Amino acid sequence: MRYDAFSKCHPLTNFLFFLGAIGFCVVIQHPLYLAVGGMGAGGYFLLLKGNAGWKQIAGLIPVFLLIAGLNPLLNTYGEHLLFTVFDRPYTLEALYYGMAVAGMFVVMILWFRCYSMVLTSDKFVCLFGSLIPALSLLLVMVLRMIPNLGRKGKQIADARTCIGKGVTGGNSTKEKIAGGMQVLSALTDWALEGSIVTADAMRSRGYGTAKRTSFRIYRMTARDWMLIGAMAVLAGGVLLAGGTGATFTPELWIAPPTWGLAAYGAFLLIPIVLYLEEAVQWHISISRI
Amino acid sequence: MRKITICNLLLLFVLIPGTLFLGTRLSGRWYYLTSTMMIVEIMIPFFLAFETRRPQARELVTLAVMCALAVASRVVMLIPNFKPMTAIVMITGIALGPQSGFVCGAVGAFASNFFFSQGPWTPWQMMAYGFAGFLAGGLFHKRFRLRNPAALAVWGFFTIVLVIGPLLDCCTVFTVSSRITWKYALAVFTAGFAYNVQHGLACAVTLLLFSKPLLSKLERLKRKYGMMDAG
Amino acid sequence: MAHFHIQDLTFSYPGANRPTLSGVNLTIEKGEYVVLCGKSGSGKTSLLRHLKSVLTPYGSRSGQVLFDGTPLEQVSQYDQSRKIGFVMQNPDEQLVTDKVWHELAFGLENLGVHQKTIRLRVAEMASYFGLQDWFDREVATLSGGQKQLLNLASIMAMQPQVLILDEPTSQLDPIAASDFLNTVRKINIELGTTIIITEHRLEDIYHSADRVVVMEEGRVIASDGPRQVGSLLWQQNSPMFAALPTPTRVFYQSGAEGACPLTVREGRSWLTKTFENRSLTVLEPDMEPEAPKTRENALRIQEGWFRYEKQGQDVLRGVNLEVPKGCIFAIVGGNGAGKSTTLKTICGICKPYRGKVEIFGKPIKSYGASLYRGCVAMLPQDPKSLFVGKTLREDLREMCREEGPIQAVAETCEITHLLDSHPYDLSGGEQQRAALAKVLLTNPKLLLLDEPTKGLDSFFKGKFAEILKKLKAEGITIILVSHDVEFCAEYADLVGMFFDGQIVTIDTPHRFFGQNSFYTTAANRMSRCVFQNAVTAEDVSELYRKNLEGTR
Repeated sequence: MRYDAFSKCHPLTNFLFFLGAIGFCVVIQHPLYLAVGGMGAGGYFLLLKGNAGWKQIAGLIPVFLLIAGLNPLLNTYGEHLLFTVFDRPYTLEALYYGMAVAGMFVVMILWFRCYSMVLTSDKFVCLFGSLIPALSLLLVMVLRMIPNLGRKGKQIADARTCIGKGVTGGNSTKEKIAGGMQVLSALTDWALEGSIVTADAMRSRGYGTAKRTSFRIYRMTARDWMLIGAMAVLAGGVLLAGGTGATFTPELWIAPPTWGLAAYGAFLLIPIVLYLEEAVQWHISISRI
Repeated sequence: MRKITICNLLLLFVLIPGTLFLGTRLSGRWYYLTSTMMIVEIMIPFFLAFETRRPQARELVTLAVMCALAVASRVVMLIPNFKPMTAIVMITGIALGPQSGFVCGAVGAFASNFFFSQGPWTPWQMMAYGFAGFLAGGLFHKRFRLRNPAALAVWGFFTIVLVIGPLLDCCTVFTVSSRITWKYALAVFTAGFAYNVQHGLACAVTLLLFSKPLLSKLERLKRKYGMMDAG
Repeated sequence: MAHFHIQDLTFSYPGANRPTLSGVNLTIEKGEYVVLCGKSGSGKTSLLRHLKSVLTPYGSRSGQVLFDGTPLEQVSQYDQSRKIGFVMQNPDEQLVTDKVWHELAFGLENLGVHQKTIRLRVAEMASYFGLQDWFDREVATLSGGQKQLLNLASIMAMQPQVLILDEPTSQLDPIAASDFLNTVRKINIELGTTIIITEHRLEDIYHSADRVVVMEEGRVIASDGPRQVGSLLWQQNSPMFAALPTPTRVFYQSGAEGACPLTVREGRSWLTKTFENRSLTVLEPDMEPEAPKTRENALRIQEGWFRYEKQGQDVLRGVNLEVPKGCIFAIVGGNGAGKSTTLKTICGICKPYRGKVEIFGKPIKSYGASLYRGCVAMLPQDPKSLFVGKTLREDLREMCREEGPIQAVAETCEITHLLDSHPYDLSGGEQQRAALAKVLLTNPKLLLLDEPTKGLDSFFKGKFAEILKKLKAEGITIILVSHDVEFCAEYADLVGMFFDGQIVTIDTPHRFFGQNSFYTTAANRMSRCVFQNAVTAEDVSELYRKNLEGTR
């Protein structure tokens, strides 16, 4: 992931932004809003990923085409008949609808990918640590163990290869399953034995002796409050301005755009604007030196 | 205890119907949001119960190991599409009880998405895997006589094909359909059927081969803990 | 008032026929640095675990432990977690969370400490232990030494009055280990924290101990200053003598009298003083004959190049290596130099992208899967990687169905009495031998060992070396990779130094370590001012005796 100003904000700011972005994306099917959403999500995704992001965006095109193309097969409403498949009408309106749904899906996936990069596990724990202390502790423990188990699994498989019990390419599926199960079994023994030590270490460090507090390394700053305020105003604008309606079947109808569209765009641009702002500031401060 | 009961009642009789009501009344495409919110609301009582139980260090660690193992088991198996995750979640439910089974599945699904990507499917996966652990735990946790590998394998196969798989497919229905119809749902379920059978077979094979050793390993751990507990 | 006061503590595990601890009386003062030593199974760990209630093992017990004058069981769990810090062996399993900062805060969170205080303490700890640079990292990306340091820091964040360490460095390489022990020493000196520590590697801590407590079969047999304990162990002819630092051992084995040296520096000045005005008759120990060049090779690597990732750095950069048949060949060198990768290349897990690997004269590629049938086998660094069964017997049966070879191998590895135990219930040294037995059932002609002495005490090391000698006598070629310079000097026939992706030099141990001045044994470092090429404690004491006799 590349440097990003928005990721440096408080987890709550990040979370509320994605809640808004994904929430609006899921419920508004107005094509213009969708287009704005696509630009916001795509732009931010490329910002985070750099040029490698193009490839992933291109990978979503077939998904888009598939969902858009398949939809009219199952939704046969609409007035403009394009052709018939299996004695069923394939209509233009349904195709438009399919494209809207597919676009929505693709934009949502992009937002979720951004979310995954920005809202890392420690940010999640920071947000929900005091609300669900046991579960969030469980989550961080699991996240610590997964890479460990992966590495150990590889070690066990290698060790077994070196005594002639390896599972290599040429074997049958049955042998592969049996071999995999042996590795899994050894891995389980190792992990469960280690868990005894971990439990001791936890109790030795006072787990369960008092009501747990939850430490956060992130602090809310004035800037975070400002951003949250701005997001609230813009989101309120989108909701109040209306004009987000659109129906596709049986007849295409799209509400005329209002200033809500501008508010929506402004909302989605927040991460990109922050990035640009910081880049400009940086540039100015360098040119002063 | 009172507090949770009130919470759960509120959820069951106010929040969930409320969501459903609002979801059906609003114009636009609210299926996904409504259904996902309901999924999250259904999961809340399970999580609340786990939280209020204040799990002990050992319980928490064992559960964490099982979750991590469920996620990491993918890496160990060299066969594409052979995912023992559900089977391990089920075994956890059987050994540690339905509630722990649910938490194992849900947290496992959530954690694994940190390594891939979170997506619209996250809550649905949490629900589905959690349910797998819960159902297996509910049936087999206290009934030792039923616990033979063949029975578990059959059970595992059918729960996946009939319950867990379709639940995951529901996510697809709600996210990518323009209009929810029975026809549409049926089409998605049929398309997913082959995949679910494959998933179910992997689960059944894992249960057949691995349930006995894993259960005995967990028993051994309990004995080892027990020895320390009494002191 | 004493910090810990152990009164007549006797303890036995359920079902055991003899007590693990019997009649232990021990007082530990505030601010003391106490080293607890003893063979594996002498009850060290059980004793340490009695100093904290949550860790106390289950069993029958009499006597009591007082902490600051109060019986330990009356001290609340909360206070115990705060005041008594406990560091265990495994760096990995002690960690609870996935991020370094979270790990530092974990103990304080448990105690319900307020947000602001945690922030301060975590900052303090990170600065004191120099963790700032990896504060935001995931613990999975840390090295073993860093993990153990993190464990220490996160316990120190709770500001304990006593720090108990149970073989904290057994899983670390020597450099990380001495870093860790120096930090512990620093904590003792700068903060006045009481330290109670057990260790295999006494060289690093013995001299700085205020008191050394020696245990044998559940009893305390000595508790005194390090010099006094040294002389006592020598007089009693105790097996623990072998674990003492080299200078001390050399001193007593040479038959010298007076105050014994504890460090290389002291040993050096003792030797220099002794031989100041004497002419030396014998300068060198008997050297091994030079390695013959014409013998058949078990292994030949020619210009081996390897890297793990396409874009990554080369780990092996033109390795050239020839290992003659029937010898014990040790590869030494720093961390990450590519020693383990070399072993993986020999057993076919890593395939060099350039260069040749020949085993017994045939290219490795021509073997295929038959490489692991009666030809090459490797004992992994962590013996646990090989265990899959519920008992050791089951594990060995995975390799071989017949009873005969199993019995034979069990006898060679001295594990016959353990065959019905669960592999995870064995001690580290026993696990090592059990894993070796499993490996030997493939009938290898070339045996590879990755860090075989890691975590073993001097007694188990000796036992392991005996087994290696037996195998060598049977004609098996052994290649081992190790950080343990002392072990290689004593038991290897040839030593090769690995550096920067290549083997730099290969020679017999005496010539090899005799030439080095840093990367060599303690015996060599202390004696090089007087003798030449003496690399083991035995070499030095023999030369000492010969020369004294010569001048008399």
